[in-house]
Amino acid sequence: MRETATPLAAWGATAAVLAGALWMLIDVLWRGAPGLSMGFLLEAPRDAGRAGGVAPILLSTIWILAVALAAALPLGLATAIWLSESTLQRPRLQRAVRLSLDMLAGVPSIVFGLFGNAVFAVALGMGLSILSGGLTLACMALPIIIRTAEEGLRALPPELRLQAAALGLRRSRIVLGLLLPAALPALLAGTLLGIGRALAETAALIFTSGYVDRAPQSWLDSGRALSVHIYDLSMNVPGGEHNAYTAALVLMALIVAINAATQAAARHWRRALSWQDPAAGDR
Amino acid sequence: MRSSIFPTDLHMNGHSRLLRIQRASGALRVLRGLFAPMLLAPVIACGPAPAPPAADALQGRLGLTGSSTVAPLAAEIAKRFEAQHPEVRIDVQTGGSSRGIADARSGIADIGLVSRALVGTEQSDLQAHPIARDGIAMIVHASNPVPQLNADQVRALYRGQWRNWQQAGGPDLEVSVVNKAQGRSTLDLFLEHFGLQSREIRPAVVIGDNEQGIKTVAGNAGAIGYVSVGSAEYAAASGVPIRLLALDAIQASVDSVRQQRYPLARPLNLVTRGTPGGLAAAFIAYAQSPAVHDLVRGLYFVPLE
Repeated sequence: MRETATPLAAWGATAAVLAGALWMLIDVLWRGAPGLSMGFLLEAPRDAGRAGGVAPILLSTIWILAVALAAALPLGLATAIWLSESTLQRPRLQRAVRLSLDMLAGVPSIVFGLFGNAVFAVALGMGLSILSGGLTLACMALPIIIRTAEEGLRALPPELRLQAAALGLRRSRIVLGLLLPAALPALLAGTLLGIGRALAETAALIFTSGYVDRAPQSWLDSGRALSVHIYDLSMNVPGGEHNAYTAALVLMALIVAINAATQAAARHWRRALSWQDPAAGDR
Repeated sequence: MRSSIFPTDLHMNGHSRLLRIQRASGALRVLRGLFAPMLLAPVIACGPAPAPPAADALQGRLGLTGSSTVAPLAAEIAKRFEAQHPEVRIDVQTGGSSRGIADARSGIADIGLVSRALVGTEQSDLQAHPIARDGIAMIVHASNPVPQLNADQVRALYRGQWRNWQQAGGPDLEVSVVNKAQGRSTLDLFLEHFGLQSREIRPAVVIGDNEQGIKTVAGNAGAIGYVSVGSAEYAAASGVPIRLLALDAIQASVDSVRQQRYPLARPLNLVTRGTPGGLAAAFIAYAQSPAVHDLVRGLYFVPLE
């Protein structure tokens, strides 16, 4: 009985997850694809987004994401390295940092939005802008990036560090030249998760990067992100459903494209780092 | 996961490993190279010289924040205003009517967007400039003879206490309640007006936009729904089998909403701290002018006289 029940339950759960994802994908494709055209990608929205396209919104989204990554990646990597590699071990402090990171990862996005609005937009005088939005998203993505990068670095075999040290390599060389590239898959996975969380964000961005749907001229301009546009079309604009679905399709395509590009880059780098033995059997 | 980062050739000699480490840091250089232009891009984008000044006297920036119901309309009006005055830039932000009030008070925004009348102390320091009205019509199928409902009857129907139209003086027909999806501004106005809680409502159908609500009611003889008054009147006039009910003995129509007689309606206001001047005054005057009535109607609101 149990012999068949367990695999059945496992298969059932897998099928349910797959069905859910497929359903969503097909629903968005079905309702969004009819409105998709080159014009939709290249034109500015008209008639409150019910006509025209999403060009300036796509541009704002990419800018916000670029600011978020430019801020979160260096900070995140540095923190991860400190947490896992630092010779100045301070277990208490590190435990406190880890705990606060895990708590930060669970904070609802609207709280980040209000925080970003109060700190970046108002206190630091950036206003509602690409910069405020990007930095707020960086705060949201940081815990994910740091924790996955740290786990990736910890999972590296200790022999690697010992051998490198035995060769007399400087600590910075070991970390930058050996450990970081070796942990690349984990770093990429964390970055992708962070990007995913950032691109899906609506609540945090309404209060930080804002609602203006014109193409940003500088990073101090307000710019509407795709997710905010989708939310507005489906909630506040009567008759906006069709373009909301098309915009959702564009957002999904963007995420898939970023995923594919990152995977391709990872493959390229992995090939360049030949000591990552291809016979190890991973993808 | 582990296998992918586990170097299998740990016994490789030191020399070749060193070489490979140098190649590895090459990958990091590529990363650095990727990010430098991203950081610079916005700075470069600031570069181009501004457009030559027009003969137009109006110039400057205007910030509007507030109600998510008013924001799409305000943004469309702002775009048309900007097209006429190239030296003007208007940024519209959302966040709710309370934020519109707060930001107009504190001066963070030049103009607040508020989808209700000002109340209490708001009236003493703020000025409301109505640009449109938002009205909701209760609609039934054209074959339903019930002429009107009062607020108590609407509550009874939507709470599921009345399940047959006979209880409202109609035919022997099961009631089918059509409700709006969560988060719609029309739903908010409906709930607030009748003092209903979202969880009290037992809907048979949940709809998204006005068009869908009209189709649903037109296809079901026992249905009752609510949609914006402009779209309901337009549909009924163009032959869709729906009827707009009178509420508290006042017929739902664009006219009765405009004349502020129909109860299930609210004003859409631009709000300023004290009397607006210069650019803000010009924009408010434009937003209240007939030049934007097509935009008001386009979002299913009722233009003012």
